Amino acid sequence: MSDLIIFITLLALGYGFGRYAEKRHYASIRKREMQLRNVPAIASRIPPYGEPNFDSQLVTGNVVISVDYFKRFIANLRNLFGGRVTSYETLLDRARREAILRMKRKANDMGATMVFNIKMETASIHKGQGNNIGSIEVLAYGTALIPN
Amino acid sequence: MEYSNPEIPEGINTTPTHPLKEFFILTVGVIVILVTSLYLLILTIDYFADMIPFSWEEKIPVAQIIADKNTIEPPQYLTRLTEDIVAAMDLPDDMKITLHYSNSDIVNAFATLGGHLVLYRGLLEKIKSEDELAMVIAHEVAHIKYRHPVAAASHGIATTLILSLISTSSDNALGRFMGTTGMLTVMKFSRDFEYEADADAVSLLVKRYGHAQGAVGLFSIFKEEMADSEPVEFLNTHPLTEKRIHKAMSLTGAVTNRTQDKKMKPLPAEFVNWLASQAQVEVEEKTDR
Repeated sequence: MSDLIIFITLLALGYGFGRYAEKRHYASIRKREMQLRNVPAIASRIPPYGEPNFDSQLVTGNVVISVDYFKRFIANLRNLFGGRVTSYETLLDRARREAILRMKRKANDMGATMVFNIKMETASIHKGQGNNIGSIEVLAYGTALIPN
Repeated sequence: MEYSNPEIPEGINTTPTHPLKEFFILTVGVIVILVTSLYLLILTIDYFADMIPFSWEEKIPVAQIIADKNTIEPPQYLTRLTEDIVAAMDLPDDMKITLHYSNSDIVNAFATLGGHLVLYRGLLEKIKSEDELAMVIAHEVAHIKYRHPVAAASHGIATTLILSLISTSSDNALGRFMGTTGMLTVMKFSRDFEYEADADAVSLLVKRYGHAQGAVGLFSIFKEEMADSEPVEFLNTHPLTEKRIHKAMSLTGAVTNRTQDKKMKPLPAEFVNWLASQAQVEVEEKTDR
């Protein structure tokens, strides 16, 4: 009985807080994306302008986001049936966008007009440790072009 | 090459399904599949469990396992009453019942593999009449008669086995969730066993005493004992006491109404005194330590 209550409480807490955090995070991401629209980030390996009057500098942005109990439980259920792990989709989407935003923020602070050749690395923390709530890390990096 | 900076639409990389909807579908799916398959499995097992000869059960050294420092030779009154009840319950010829008495204050009695039956002093002390005592013994003997211990053991083993195959680790939330679901399914069968045993015990009471007041008396003891701790039924191995009373009474309603004298037979004074002395023995042992 007490096990069941603990389980339901954890699920409810995970859902409640996870949902709240996600909503706030998305709102903040959208706001900052609008603010940093003037610094485009592109994946091309060649600088687009071909002009030599730019200084280039490495910029990175990195974020770690934790999975909540509820998301993890749904993902575990998905492991039985197969299909899209939708509960992790928003998690990774947020992490990627947040990492790019942090990278752009640095580029912007340097006075860069754009970041090219951007790449991303994803890693999971606590991988394979059954009972631990896992976290994901996303690192975005690229070359900032600063007009001189 | 021309570059533009379009605004990327929201929600490309995510699925708009509401998480609670997904949670609901998946959880209900798991529960339905798990319960149905365990149900079928247990029904199959029960079919085969009946074929296990009783002599196999007798080979398990159960007596040594249940024996502890409190287990002592039961008094003659208990042995004789058990023998009388067993004789009246039409057990298969090869089935032997062994009675054990444990001098501890646990309010319980149980029957297990190999026809072993254990009575605790704790329960005997609460009992006020021979009818109630006969109800306890007959109930446990009925469990053995219907081979409930071997069926219950098979249910447990099969369920554990299946669950360990499905979820490789029991330390995560899903593993525990499925374990609980499996356990609750098994408990449903356990409750059915209780009803079956109650029914037999009640008919023995009627046969022996002409009425089933002993069942009512015993269940009232349970009710007092579990006054505010009785949880929700589906989380329990035993049905709610209220339901057991109701069911037992509906079985004997016709019989009991005809009989006028519903007085229960008191326990012999000798046995009551013996129990009291046993309680004293345990108290002394406790103070010695």
